[in-house]
Amino acid sequence: MSVLRIGHINLRVLDMDEALNHYENVLGMSRTHEDDDGNVYLKAWDEWDKYSVILSKSYKAGMNHIAYKVRSDEDLDTYKQKITDYGIEVEELPEGTMPAVGRLLKFNLPSGHEMRLYAEKEFVGTAVGSTNPDPWPDGLNGAGVHWLDHALLMCELNPEEGINKVAESTNFMIDVLGFYLVEQVVVGPDGDIQAATWLSCTNTPHDIAFVGGPVQGLHHCAFFLDSWDDVLKAADVMSKKRVKIDVTPQRHGITRGYTIYFFDPSGNRNETFGGLGYLAQPDRPVTTWTEDQLGAGIFYHTRELVESFTSVYT
Amino acid sequence: MNGFRLGSSAKRRRVTILDTGQRYMCGEDQHLLKGMTTLGKRGIPSGCHGGGCGVCKVRILGPKSNYRTLSMSRAHITEEEESEGIVLACRTYPLGEIELKVLGKIRKNVLKPGRGYVFGKPIPTTRDKTDEEREKI
Repeated sequence: MSVLRIGHINLRVLDMDEALNHYENVLGMSRTHEDDDGNVYLKAWDEWDKYSVILSKSYKAGMNHIAYKVRSDEDLDTYKQKITDYGIEVEELPEGTMPAVGRLLKFNLPSGHEMRLYAEKEFVGTAVGSTNPDPWPDGLNGAGVHWLDHALLMCELNPEEGINKVAESTNFMIDVLGFYLVEQVVVGPDGDIQAATWLSCTNTPHDIAFVGGPVQGLHHCAFFLDSWDDVLKAADVMSKKRVKIDVTPQRHGITRGYTIYFFDPSGNRNETFGGLGYLAQPDRPVTTWTEDQLGAGIFYHTRELVESFTSVYT
Repeated sequence: MNGFRLGSSAKRRRVTILDTGQRYMCGEDQHLLKGMTTLGKRGIPSGCHGGGCGVCKVRILGPKSNYRTLSMSRAHITEEEESEGIVLACRTYPLGEIELKVLGKIRKNVLKPGRGYVFGKPIPTTRDKTDEEREKI
């Protein structure tokens, strides 16, 4: 029984045409489905399941839900029991609730974010196929991202009032869903407040991250690129296409990834995350960042936090 | 595309940030925040530039015929506010001379000063101006 990987994210957008132009022509994803309610489903070229991003027109920006794929259908029954035993209510959505996906479990993380688990999604194959494939396909648009890599969720953190949804959500992911802690930020006078965590269910440094803030929300969702060169080219694409960049190419201390932060046309923050950082393992010692060195953890070169990056999210 | 283009033939309009007296020229094809940041000016908080995060909230004085807006998150601009000339600068384009007051602030509404953390940083104890204090500007 295990969670395989991040499956998809459902983002709210203010203007569908603007959003599609961004996800298709800046990130380079492809439209694979549109449902009767106008939700549009997209996949990146190196993904084999039908979609990893769902765009939903809304009056406000942000995330509706995030979903992870589990190994087998029976796992869903086990997880349903484990989540219920943990004291969190689970709703089972029958097959057909979402297009091209089998039955789903729907529940809220301790932080309040909606998460879904599923075992089956329609296979469509990567853009290069699985038999004697070329390393990359022709005709990629924009940055040509490989896959949806991870998301960072903002969780309420107010130690004075005894609220730490970062720690609560982290414990849930570890105790119930079998993720392991890879890196963390600790703050406070005694350095004992877990203010941010990076967790993995695969061998990448993070498949999900939680960071403390005043209210819950989506800080960013990230898409994978191979190399530093790809990150540089992605930034060129963004400037050419007048995308609002939040932080230009840089290395993260945390996860060692190569990054660009930018906004989709509705203000949802995206990241292109280059490189695999390192091979994460469940028994790898947890990397800890302290409050005084947090700037270097996030932006390794400037060693300073960026006001919009820390404070603005949807 | 909203970006500044050299040689743009769009008419340029004067924008005044009343809080600071800062003035700049903004093309009709640029949103008010882009016009400001492109010239390296400051005064309106700059966030997502997509109408989603709400930090660039401003009140525009004068007639609605002086500007046009694109869709903005209703989590930050209610219909009532919009009818009173309260908008997000990143979704607002000038059609005439613009005078505005800054309402949005990165910490507005959500951060309780001195309590809690955002991104591992303690939330500062220094208090931002309240809306009432801003009104007096």
